[in-house]
Amino acid sequence: MILTQESIQEIKEKTAKYPRKKSGILPALTVAYRQLGYVDDEIYHEISKVIKVPYVEIAEAATFYTMFPKKSRGKYLIQVCHNISCALLGADSLISYLEDKLGIKKGETTADNLFTLISVECLGSCSTAPMMQINHDFHENLTREKVDGILETLRSEA
Amino acid sequence: MFYSPVITNAAEVASHKDLHLFKYVEDPKQHEIGTYQAHGGYKAWKKVLNGMTADQVTEEVKKSGLRGRGGAGFPTGMKWGFVPKASPKPRYLCCNADESEPGTCKDRVLMERDPHGVIEGMAIAAYAIGCHLMFIYIRGEFNHCRERMEQAMNEAYQHGHLGKNIHGSGYDLEMIVHTGGGAYICGEETALLNSVEGERGMSRMRPPFPAIEGLYACPTIVNNVESLASVPHIINRGADWYGSLGTEKSKGTKIFSLSGHVKRPGNYEVEMGFNLKKLIYDPAYGNGMLEDKKLKGVIPGGASTPFLTPDMIDVGLDYESLQTVGSMLGSGAVIVFNEDACIVWVIKKLIHFFRHESCGKCTPCREGTSWLEQMINRIESGEGQPGDIEKIEDVCGNILGRTICPLGDAAVMPIQSAIKHWRDEWQYHIDQKQCMVKTNFDFK
Amino acid sequence: MAEATKKDMPTETAENMVTLTINGRETTVPKGTTVLQAAKELGVHIPTFCWHPKLKPVGACRMCYVEVEKMPKLQVSCALEVMDGMVVHTDSDTVKQGRKAIIEFILLNHPLDCPTCDKGGECDLQNLTFAHGVDDSRFEFQKYRFVDEGMTTTFDDRRIGPEIILNRNRCILCYKCVRANKEAFGEYDLGVYERGSIAEINAAPGEQVDNPFSGNLVEICPVGALTNSDWRYKIRVWLTSTTPSICNYTSSGINTLFFKENHHNKIYRVTSRPSDDIDDGWLPDVTRYGYQIVNSPDRLTTPLVKKEGKQVEATWEEALEIIGKRFGEIKERLGGVCVGALVSPGLDNASLHAASRLMRVGFKSNNIDFRGDYRYLPESSESPFMRLCSRPFKIADIDDSDVIVTFGSDLIREHANEYLRIRKAFNFGNARIFAVNPYQTKSADVSSLELVYLPGTEESVVNGICLAAIEDNLVDAKRGEKFKLKTPTKSSAEAAKVSGVDRESLRTVAEALAEGKKITFFTGEIITRSRQRDLIASALINLHRLFGLKGRAQMSALARYANSKGAEKLGLLPNPRTVVVDKLRGLWGEYPESPARNTDAMMALIKKEEIKGFLILGSNPVMLYPDREFVKEGIEKLDFLVVADLFETETTELADVVLPLASWAEYEGYYVNLEGRTQKAARAVKPIGQAKPGYEIASLIGEALDPEMFQNEQQIHSEVRQLLELDSVIAYPDDFLEVKADTDGSQGDYNLPLYIIDDWHHSGHLTEKAPSLANFASEPYIEIPPQLASELKIAHGDSVRVESEVGKVILPARISEHTQNNVVLVPRNFSSSNVTSLLMRKKRVDRVKISKVDE
Ligand SMILES: Cc1cc2nc3c(=O)[nH]c(=O)nc-3n(C[C@H](O)[C@H](O)[C@H](O)COP(=O)(O)O)c2cc1C
Ligand code: SF4
Ligand code: FES
Repeated sequence: MILTQESIQEIKEKTAKYPRKKSGILPALTVAYRQLGYVDDEIYHEISKVIKVPYVEIAEAATFYTMFPKKSRGKYLIQVCHNISCALLGADSLISYLEDKLGIKKGETTADNLFTLISVECLGSCSTAPMMQINHDFHENLTREKVDGILETLRSEA
Repeated sequence: MFYSPVITNAAEVASHKDLHLFKYVEDPKQHEIGTYQAHGGYKAWKKVLNGMTADQVTEEVKKSGLRGRGGAGFPTGMKWGFVPKASPKPRYLCCNADESEPGTCKDRVLMERDPHGVIEGMAIAAYAIGCHLMFIYIRGEFNHCRERMEQAMNEAYQHGHLGKNIHGSGYDLEMIVHTGGGAYICGEETALLNSVEGERGMSRMRPPFPAIEGLYACPTIVNNVESLASVPHIINRGADWYGSLGTEKSKGTKIFSLSGHVKRPGNYEVEMGFNLKKLIYDPAYGNGMLEDKKLKGVIPGGASTPFLTPDMIDVGLDYESLQTVGSMLGSGAVIVFNEDACIVWVIKKLIHFFRHESCGKCTPCREGTSWLEQMINRIESGEGQPGDIEKIEDVCGNILGRTICPLGDAAVMPIQSAIKHWRDEWQYHIDQKQCMVKTNFDFK
Repeated sequence: MAEATKKDMPTETAENMVTLTINGRETTVPKGTTVLQAAKELGVHIPTFCWHPKLKPVGACRMCYVEVEKMPKLQVSCALEVMDGMVVHTDSDTVKQGRKAIIEFILLNHPLDCPTCDKGGECDLQNLTFAHGVDDSRFEFQKYRFVDEGMTTTFDDRRIGPEIILNRNRCILCYKCVRANKEAFGEYDLGVYERGSIAEINAAPGEQVDNPFSGNLVEICPVGALTNSDWRYKIRVWLTSTTPSICNYTSSGINTLFFKENHHNKIYRVTSRPSDDIDDGWLPDVTRYGYQIVNSPDRLTTPLVKKEGKQVEATWEEALEIIGKRFGEIKERLGGVCVGALVSPGLDNASLHAASRLMRVGFKSNNIDFRGDYRYLPESSESPFMRLCSRPFKIADIDDSDVIVTFGSDLIREHANEYLRIRKAFNFGNARIFAVNPYQTKSADVSSLELVYLPGTEESVVNGICLAAIEDNLVDAKRGEKFKLKTPTKSSAEAAKVSGVDRESLRTVAEALAEGKKITFFTGEIITRSRQRDLIASALINLHRLFGLKGRAQMSALARYANSKGAEKLGLLPNPRTVVVDKLRGLWGEYPESPARNTDAMMALIKKEEIKGFLILGSNPVMLYPDREFVKEGIEKLDFLVVADLFETETTELADVVLPLASWAEYEGYYVNLEGRTQKAARAVKPIGQAKPGYEIASLIGEALDPEMFQNEQQIHSEVRQLLELDSVIAYPDDFLEVKADTDGSQGDYNLPLYIIDDWHHSGHLTEKAPSLANFASEPYIEIPPQLASELKIAHGDSVRVESEVGKVILPARISEHTQNNVVLVPRNFSSSNVTSLLMRKKRVDRVKISKVDE
């Protein structure tokens, strides 16, 4: 098993309350993703055993959503919203700025495997645009100064 | 960084006799149950449990005139009334906290800063429809909302507002916080139900409507966060009070998410019918155009609503008034852009979103949005061909009203209105192979 | 595809009816009908892609648009329920425009590779494009292409199962395959992944689409996205013509269509010929691909006669002359009673009847049976078990049964389509469904409760249900008292202990039987093959009586082979019912008085050298009859053996004369399905080589014995008809029957219960010869429960020694999903498995021990 005992326990707890087993798919995927940073075929199998739902149903659901990539990414996943409200306030230039700063293109991961940069659809921070999400945290009202500071902090924490 | 740094008009709301949703959102402890209760929280819930029948609750909400804040504006009490009384099946309530419509960021503020208000509203709604297990479907990316809601839920259980035999009333109510996995379409109510069921988040055909056959094929009510958060106030202060706010057909107050090229973007709670121009220009709200550039257009109700041009913005923000100018109130997301925004570029951003978020179930939406995106990208990159505009219009016509769920409509309505209002700009793009305006928005 | 018929619609009562207008014509249909169905009833065709008559509508393709007055938008008719006063237009300009747009959308990313696509000629998209589409494409972009990693061409062509090939680029995402797979078949080996315009259908990651219904997916795919090796690249559909037939491998009588090439005498495929009463249009793979044996190069094409110990080719004249002479001699010397016959229950009515007449009139012998693979056959057709068999049964009644019990049946393997019916009832109805078996089966997926009893305790299970009902006052108390007089079992608790099923479960079934308004209760092969089947049948007859099921239940032991029911009705049993005997005597003017012997008795007499001449039509007792050595040794002692078959078999090897038998595809034949329904299989192709149908062979043999014995075809048919008209239901006795629980002694070393099953993709002993079915499974194996496997350190694929008191075989292991009772399963379909050599003639439950073979 790649899923840890804690994850399995958490999945069991999270899914227990639902009237039907199949409802456990999203909670289970979420727990698995949090542990691993990816969810692939092997994990679908493990989840399938834990929540007793056919394997293919897990694969079908997982690939429908954007939050369960099959391959793990950098330690910090930077997701920049490129939708309209953010774009009006310079999201595209924010992406270019990050590309320059990190020395990678959108969609890529830095050589030290620290940062992955992707652009995503609206994250519900439209009034605090432009914004980016790094792992689970939102960073809003971004300026060049703020971005520099954030990246520096993350680098030093890593 | 727990709070969204979004600007609100909490101060105004606090001093206003009628605005209510945002009254305590700036109180850094409002999310804690003690503070919430000190501010009068869960009073409505107790009032309901101790003295009102389910029908009375539904009646009260019906009478208040509250309409759904998730986009469609359907009368909330009436929707609750559709739940079949005689059905032996369990009933469910799903609070729709998938907030993903570009421009919309109001539910997030409510959940992060006043989560108990949401739970109390959900509980009352659950009671009204005879539901004993309720869900809140929070979009997966809203990690902080989830934490806040879970924490609040645990507190609510601890204080006996949820669980078995609540406050000795004999009523049982359980709650599940369900998080999504990244899919705008799951905000559409039937896709949301599929997603809770563990299916792919694809929309279902209606009928049957969720109120008759929803989650697990049982009667289910789906309501937006803001709609539900309004309910305790209606119970506390009465339907008449609520009905006295707003316009004749659009009652109460509504939160508007103001974004784009304004000086003071933020979330503002105002009475229904509030003037759009005022929202954009009044110093208490948008405070005018960023860098005082010229206004080019406004999307009044989220990315799926038709555009308004500057001459149309002296209009009330309510369901009917916006309809008269050819647009919609939607989710109350007001997106403002100045004359530096090329309309083709704006549309490119929008169609990309809808193509990416189409669930792929029905043909017109799946194929149509991707065709439109390719055509629009081509024009934007200066390779448009004569006839492209007409072709786009035609394809839009083949999607509009022909899809399973309104996502197809949402994708094409802004395009149609953008062509209607700025046709010459589109034409220029094709003829001159470039933008009429130079779009190059830099961040600070 | 099948027309939606009334069966699928709500029942018609006046207040349930709705009147609407479609294209100016008024029609009245039951509430709940969709506009599409209503239009079809009127003969108005509405084009569709994603709709399937047996699946829930999803409204995905949007091809079925109609315009409804007072509704502003176009409506999808496949999901729109009729309403009173509705005015529908299916061909207005708006509708036409809407459809055209849909075709245009679908074609955007669909490859135009029709000339190389096997669906060409029968592709819904191709046809509807011609009918409703546009001539020209307005799409000026690269079509979206799925390309596999490492592949350079855009021709997506991936094998996703032993038979199925997927081309994702052709897929139009109608989801019919995935829906059918999950909804109708309960299979989870195919899915849809990703979303939006790049969504794709594919096998479950890392798995194969190899479920026993997988061929249907190819048939229902509206385009060439799913094709199979059976049909691919072989022939264009317009070069074929079709012949209606029925399945020869199942007893449901599944309706099929043969596709044959017009100039060559060759069948190219089988598809469904949907019948709502019987099959709902679904074919198990064995039905779909089993036809391939007809084309097999291994078919016997000429008679063979043994000369100096070797079988050599001969003409029919030579063969018949020898047969006439040798059978004549035996008859003359020892009497016709020294001749016996075994016929296959897969043969048509005429063949069976001709064989019966040959034996009974030609040899004046009652030594005839059709049950070549069962032990413990009742001699009397009025035995409790045969009474149970004779009960009427209607497949379609499963749909709206509110209680369904399958007892002693590994359902999918025995009655694949009835399993699908039950699944339908499970999905759409409110039935309480019980699977009662000695091991866990896939039926559990569609059951409200699964009861797993200890092997060989069937009558205790039944008694337990009855006693639970009596104890808890669910049935008439007086009847309960009478019941108790006939059963030594004291209480349901005692029965629970003996059978290993908890009392609560027994009670749950009892409750359902007491309350049910429409009950379907049937027993399967595990009962049929049991030594105690009469005892079990008695227990069931008691149950019927105790619960007062008359009028609210169909209870039957289901026939297993294509024409077992016909054989029964035509009197191919050693001791047919009196009405049948009387009728035969009337028809023939005589009926033999000689003792009647069933298969088992005949085998014993052969071994004792009391039967010296034997005729076998289409059966292979050496392979099939339990206790292989016993049968083989016996048969070797015969003076004269004639075997007619499609192939050389373990039995033909021993024959003095081998005759080439025509298959069911090669002549017109009539078959009686498990319901008692007679259906025709038309002749699709000419018999291969010099092969002849069974009735002709029987007739020729008769004639060779005695020219008077020639049987005219018309005459055979007319006699068959008269026999089938007889009322075949044998009434239950008027009182409860004695049911004393049997104990199944043998334990000791050999303690693993062994059940002989059919592989998921096979049926009987012929399907091995169908290449497509061999693609799914061609090797024998033993299924071992996981806990036993790990205890014995056996992994998937390991060689396992399987030993019984009488035999020993070595088989590769498969780890099964069932865990209870340490049951092991071995398929009987592979000649190399030699499984019958493990079986003894007198065991209630066969038991074996197993061990891993160390390399
Ligand atoms: C594509 C699409 C996305 C939607 N997204 C949301 C959403 O994020 N939040 C929401 O409350 N309603 C959303 N809706 C509206 C819901 O379907 C539903 O009408 C609403 O949740 C009902 O709640 P209300 O009556 O309280 O407004 C969406 C609708 C569509 C068609
Ligand atoms: S493979 Fe065929 S049946 Fe399956 S979704 Fe695609 S087109 Fe439909
Ligand atoms: S057939 Fe009705 S939508 Fe496909």
